[in-house]
Amino acid sequence: MVSGKPSNLKSFKSNKNFNFILILLCLTLVFLGKLDLIAIRNIKAFLSDFLAPVTFALNKPVKEIAGVFEDVKSAGSLREENIRLKSEVRKLKVINSKASSQELELLELRQLLKVLPERKNKIITGRAITAPGGIFANTVLINAGEDYGIKVGQPAISSLGLVGYVVNVSLKTSRILLLIDINSMIPVYLTNSNWPAVVQGQSGNLLKIKFLSSKAEPIDGEVVQTSGHGGRLPSGINVGKIVKSFSGKFYVKPIVDFHRLTFISIITNKTFQPLSLKTFDGFAPLQKPESSINLKGLNLSGKRVIESPED
Amino acid sequence: MIKDNKNFYNLYKFSITILFFVFLLCILNFQKSLSFFSMFEISTPSLISIVIYLCIVRFNVNPSNMILFFTGFLHDIMIGNNLGTTSIFLLLFKYFTENMILEKINKKNQEEWIYFTIIFIFSFGIVFLFNLIISFSLIELSPIFFHIGITLILYPIIKTSINFFSFVFRLIKS
Repeated sequence: MVSGKPSNLKSFKSNKNFNFILILLCLTLVFLGKLDLIAIRNIKAFLSDFLAPVTFALNKPVKEIAGVFEDVKSAGSLREENIRLKSEVRKLKVINSKASSQELELLELRQLLKVLPERKNKIITGRAITAPGGIFANTVLINAGEDYGIKVGQPAISSLGLVGYVVNVSLKTSRILLLIDINSMIPVYLTNSNWPAVVQGQSGNLLKIKFLSSKAEPIDGEVVQTSGHGGRLPSGINVGKIVKSFSGKFYVKPIVDFHRLTFISIITNKTFQPLSLKTFDGFAPLQKPESSINLKGLNLSGKRVIESPED
Repeated sequence: MIKDNKNFYNLYKFSITILFFVFLLCILNFQKSLSFFSMFEISTPSLISIVIYLCIVRFNVNPSNMILFFTGFLHDIMIGNNLGTTSIFLLLFKYFTENMILEKINKKNQEEWIYFTIIFIFSFGIVFLFNLIISFSLIELSPIFFHIGITLILYPIIKTSINFFSFVFRLIKS
């Protein structure tokens, strides 16, 4: 109980023993937690579900105040921001027009080469209810759990790229281990040179590159994406960019700002959907191929034919 | 009549304990939510250690080991830390603070900050080493240094603010 200053040495000594017993209990708890026992995982899930509203309520005022501060700070640079955004919109318009013409071409080439159809992902988006960061743990709790089909190991993304993956799920909430956490390891590849590697968090701002071939020559600013090796994460999700340190060592700077996370999407169980022009929902509207265009190949009699997408 | 009632006294003590527990939990949550501010993006200060130290040294309120254990335990669940890590830190911090007070009863007021520094670094160092052992890899050191530095800077600021408010309060009262 809350008591006054320890008045006599005797009570302090008994208190001291109790203190040591509790420290030993904590050490046992740490090791049990590391063993990842199902019972402990369930208790953690239940308690985090139970405490989620409390955490949200306690975090909300601070988050709002921080938001106000950020707004005031950014108000000074509105003009520069506006100019930057305008130029960015111009660039994106050009990219968009190119992408929409290439998308149809890509789809046709995929059919021509009989590339296995991609599986369509189901995405669930939840709101982050805790602040990320911490010294020894970098996790975020979101308000979507088992009842939305979220399972342990599923990848979490934001509009920019990979955030992390689910490590604990309860009925109403899920805990996401951020990329920057020391326990996080993600198989990636360097997009320019195609070299595979693994990035590991360091509980800081940068990710360590591991298992990269000595022949690989990373370029400063090169984009790093998930490789999909191991089958746990889908390939092609943006992770970050290569940065070179003063010592000449290469690191990956995550593309996601983990302190500004509000909504996080979880890529839940994939539902198989065969590729067809009707069901393909690309980012640009697709044109239906005209029957007169014969680019798909020749049949046995030497005549050009259009292969149906279902083939 | 009420004072003689043992049950009432126990209930009073129990409610004080619960209130203190809730207070510590709120402080821990506030400490964590400070990371929403761009200033504390790297790491947040350990407000809980400042509060516990001030409670023991200044206000003669000695938080029980059980309160610290459960506060740390719940905090670990809330932030997804290894279970028991925060509890170890809080218990060690309390142990070192009590030990120092008993050993140096005639302490000078100016030495308080130095004692806080020693106690904080010592307890944090032990927890850090322990985490190093269980995770088998070295984490980036800049957040650690920031955490220690900002906590040590905040201690005299919070203490001076408390002194100032108590001075103003006494002035208004008189």
